[in-house]
Amino acid sequence: MLKSLKSIALGAFSATLLAGVAHADITVYTAGPQSLIDKMSEGFTKETGIKVNVFQATTGKVMARIEAEASNPAVDVLISASWDTATDFEKRGWLVKYASPNAAKVPDFLKSDYAVAQGISALGIAWNTKSGTPKPSEWADLAKPEYKDMVNIPDPAQSGSSFELTAALAAQDNFKLFKDLKADGAIIAGANAEALNPVLQGAKAAVFGAVDYITLAAKKKGESIDMVFPASGTVIAPRPAMILNWSKHQDEAKKFVDYMLSDAGQKMVADQMLMPARTDIPADRPLIGDLKLLKYDTADVYGKRKDTLKQVSDIFGGK
Amino acid sequence: MTDAAVSTAGLELHYGATPVLKGIDVALGKGKTLALLGPSGCGKTTLLRLVAGLLSPSKGSVSIAGHPVADAATGLFAPPEKRNLGMVFQDYALWPHMTVGGNVSFPLEMRGIGRAERELRTKRALERVGLAALADRRPSDLSGGQQQRVAIARAIVAEPQLILFDEPLSNLDRELRENMVGELAELIATLGLTAIYVTHDHSEALTLADEVAVMRGGLIEQLATPDVLIDQPATPDVADFLRLGGVAELEHRDGLWFFRGSDVALLRHRGQPGDIAQVLIPTNAITLGDIAPGRLAATVLRSQFRGDGHLASISIVGPANVELQVLSRTKLRPGEGVGLSIDPARIRSFGKTTFSSTEETFEHA
Amino acid sequence: MKANGVSGSAPAAWLAIAGLAVVVAVPFAAVVLQGIFPNLGQGSFAGPFSSFIATLNDSALIGMAGNTILLGACVVLVSALVAVPLGVFRALYKVPLAPLFDVLLLVPFMIPPYIATLGWIMTLQPRGYLQQILGFNLAPFLFSLAGMTVVMAFNTFPVVYFAVSRTVEAVGARYADVGRVFGATPARAFWRITLPLSAPGLAASLMLVFAAAIEEYGTPAALGRRAGFQVLVTGIDLRITDWPIDLPGASIMSLLLVALSLITFLGQRWILARRSYQTVNGKPQAKDKRPLGSMRVPVVIAFAVVSFLATGVPLLSILATALSRTISGGLAIDNISLANFIAVFSNSAGAFGALATSFSLGIGTALITGAIGVMAAYTVVKTRISGRVAIDVMTILPNALPGIVVAVGLILAWNMPFLPATPYNTAFILLLAYCCILLPQPMRYATAAFQQIGDNLEAAARVFGASSFTAFRRILLPLVFPSLASAMLLVFALASRELVASVVVAPVGMQTIATFIWRQFEQGSIGLGMAMAFIAIIITTLLPLLLLALLRRSGLVAE
Repeated sequence: MLKSLKSIALGAFSATLLAGVAHADITVYTAGPQSLIDKMSEGFTKETGIKVNVFQATTGKVMARIEAEASNPAVDVLISASWDTATDFEKRGWLVKYASPNAAKVPDFLKSDYAVAQGISALGIAWNTKSGTPKPSEWADLAKPEYKDMVNIPDPAQSGSSFELTAALAAQDNFKLFKDLKADGAIIAGANAEALNPVLQGAKAAVFGAVDYITLAAKKKGESIDMVFPASGTVIAPRPAMILNWSKHQDEAKKFVDYMLSDAGQKMVADQMLMPARTDIPADRPLIGDLKLLKYDTADVYGKRKDTLKQVSDIFGGK
Repeated sequence: MTDAAVSTAGLELHYGATPVLKGIDVALGKGKTLALLGPSGCGKTTLLRLVAGLLSPSKGSVSIAGHPVADAATGLFAPPEKRNLGMVFQDYALWPHMTVGGNVSFPLEMRGIGRAERELRTKRALERVGLAALADRRPSDLSGGQQQRVAIARAIVAEPQLILFDEPLSNLDRELRENMVGELAELIATLGLTAIYVTHDHSEALTLADEVAVMRGGLIEQLATPDVLIDQPATPDVADFLRLGGVAELEHRDGLWFFRGSDVALLRHRGQPGDIAQVLIPTNAITLGDIAPGRLAATVLRSQFRGDGHLASISIVGPANVELQVLSRTKLRPGEGVGLSIDPARIRSFGKTTFSSTEETFEHA
Repeated sequence: MKANGVSGSAPAAWLAIAGLAVVVAVPFAAVVLQGIFPNLGQGSFAGPFSSFIATLNDSALIGMAGNTILLGACVVLVSALVAVPLGVFRALYKVPLAPLFDVLLLVPFMIPPYIATLGWIMTLQPRGYLQQILGFNLAPFLFSLAGMTVVMAFNTFPVVYFAVSRTVEAVGARYADVGRVFGATPARAFWRITLPLSAPGLAASLMLVFAAAIEEYGTPAALGRRAGFQVLVTGIDLRITDWPIDLPGASIMSLLLVALSLITFLGQRWILARRSYQTVNGKPQAKDKRPLGSMRVPVVIAFAVVSFLATGVPLLSILATALSRTISGGLAIDNISLANFIAVFSNSAGAFGALATSFSLGIGTALITGAIGVMAAYTVVKTRISGRVAIDVMTILPNALPGIVVAVGLILAWNMPFLPATPYNTAFILLLAYCCILLPQPMRYATAAFQQIGDNLEAAARVFGASSFTAFRRILLPLVFPSLASAMLLVFALASRELVASVVVAPVGMQTIATFIWRQFEQGSIGLGMAMAFIAIIITTLLPLLLLALLRRSGLVAE
């Protein structure tokens, strides 16, 4: 009895191990949603026969993995959630120049010689419609007494887009808005999902700077939540896809980028409630054209990153 | 009954539906020692723990020095610390985190006795068991015999009204055990202790006790002084447990008592035909000789040297399953044939039928 | 007389050393080297020690180290306050429904701490389940040091509870009864005898709790951040996940954490070695447990309340969330839906793959750590070969290595460019990580079991013609098997839910139960994550119990 149990266990076990080493043609690291990359690799494999191995995590964990693997890297294509990664990797000379034929309909500000956006997310206010608070329309609304103790702010240290929003808004009034928010009881609450979950249950009324596609997907599922894009402007986060220069499968990697930008690939992006990178793909949500964007100099903002984060953490009381 | 140092009445204990004690009545006078003797599982330790207050009875009552300490009927139950006891355990139960001196002075401390007197009495108790020099050691540094001496010192130091011994010597080797029995007997006598002594060793019980209760299956089979016990065991089991000799079943026919189911006659005595009797044939009733007319023929089964000779188990030729014990000066080999003369005056019967020693003598056929 | 072990047991020792070297020494060495040589990842040994000064000069470090110790101490205190009275009552009195409470108090082991914490958040935050039911919330309490302490203590106190109830049962009833015969009141007997005798076991279990608390990631990450309370583990995590990544800094902080844990464990071993009392002599006196009398009702209430808080609240909260159609729908009949469970069973997002991966890895980890553990324990306890101290050290070391450190060490070690073959990016790397993290469990159980086996048992087998291997296999192994089997079941349960290392080293395209759940949370599908968590908890609780029952029936394992 015990013996047969053992052999079953060992059998299952070796099957798993073999699954792990099964031959794969390209390796994609992505900070995007798991279901998006799953569908995209499935479609890609069906079309090209090239298999895709996926590592999905937050941007930070993807970065940690790449850094740890620096001496023997494995990743062929990287899809980050922050354009800053593309700038940084380009500077390090880690990227391969590639202009996909399917990128023609991608606006110029969403592509460079080395990177092209897979899709775009924007930040806004996620608001619980059953929270008993008035519907906010502006960032500054959330510092009003009606929202006392009811606002979550995603940690700018943990999310690139959140940081850009913080920096851009802080530059407008030298952190006054954030001081008001603090005085009104707003708190910094972890990464994006961590900030959103309490709003879903109603513990908080709104997220100041929520990632739109997660919120919109929740709304689609029937959660009583709505997404507000303030008229004064917000930030967007293009999600750059790039091919690493150490890749031994650059041709396949390029095919993957092509597929990502194809009609089918971009439709998958739109289905995730992200804005597709190509302007000719329809989506059931507000698009870049509908949003007013805050103006700021990315290089300048990232140059002062440490400073900005310290100011924020001083205002919101340590971390 | 109220003047007894310890007494129980109708004491019963059940674990769920399983009875462990089925009604125990004992009474022990002050300054006396009672031994509870029996095989393991007979309930003797349970009885001791009931007296100690480590268990409470399902039925019946326990009194110490005339005061009831547990009564199932009224729900009265005095916890152990209220019973003014000393106790010696089979596994010594010395507290490993205290020194020898700390262990011994603990009962005095619990009785609120001042430090100076405590030290004095601890020293005296340890001296009595010959371990005064080891007061600062840890129990784990001591040998088994030394540990048991410490346990004894701890039991006597507060001069409790009753000391309980729970198979105190069974973890020691034989030689040490025999020495300790003597020492204990002396100690109990000099200090005039009232004690209950649980053991499965009949020689310990018969040596130490004023009265012995032989227990079996949760009941007392016989409660008597050692002399009475040896002379008049109440049941074959008692006789067997005390190793007093062989037990045989006899039947009466033709004016003679035969070993049951055989043609070998043992006694000429009154009786009704068809009567059955169980008798004890003590070891000292048998004289050994060669096989000869007028003697019972027997075969040696096995033999073991005892201090005063070779104790042999023999089986009588003829009746089935009759095994007697006989003492021989010389070594007997298994299978050897021997002849026996049995002194009918020493044969004891259990039950109704009595054999008076003055009646008729009987020649073996 | 022990000298005979030298030649005979060498193979066991060498196997143990080889296993430990791969599983423990390699990743640990990689972390140390990374701390010293900041550019190790690029294969360079330049600038040794250059990161030390920067990291150690960081004023936040002292705060984090202080917070770590503070949190550990608070968790220890609360665990002791909850567990000691319950453990003592369980050991000395006839507690009604005691076996049921034992099982209920075992369940917290099976609830991953990060899930339990999320359950607490869902319950206590404003408009959480508590407020939906009773109309008030405890958010200010939850998001504070006190809340963190209580949540963590409810997850770890069973360690203390079971240690206390066992030692007190073995030691206390026996020796304390003797004290009462000699005139001590129950209270005095407890303070003078039971407590000092149980103290070493209690202290050792509290140190285990401390070590677990300072290594815990999920709870401080989820609750502490809002309280502005950063500990070393979250600090390390930040250095690893915050761009730019500071692996040397993380390594140095890891070493600090390792040092803290190591001190704790050495302290624990010192206490156990110096002050533990052999109590095997005492016959178990289970039947002699006292009735509770007038304390019956309060004690049962205390047990029920603690069981409910430790097991009921997290489980119910997990279940409620998993059964909710939408989170914003709250606790309402029309919001009940099996959609999340159906999603798991229809293999949505690779749920089956995650379950299969985790359970196979759990079994593999249990078998490997069991094998290494039993050989290492044998070598340490029963032989006198000179390497045994090294073995001993290597088996304690993982206690002091947080999962994230192990993960980083494994990547550093196994992703060197010159390696001809590497487990990296295969399931083997997860296996290595789990083995390293969980090795101490079988080692601890097997060591204790070997210590109880007299040397003569093995000697007798040798005298009767068994080779040292046969003696080990036929005599010693069966004797330690019951302990080993329980340890391996524990390993299985822990491995199948491990989160931190899994997230960092999971090979591409492979999900475990924990990474699956974590990803669902990260992407806002809390309900799906909770459904998976609930299924995993049920399976990891029932499977070992079932196995134990089977083994018991077959007579392989005694009580």
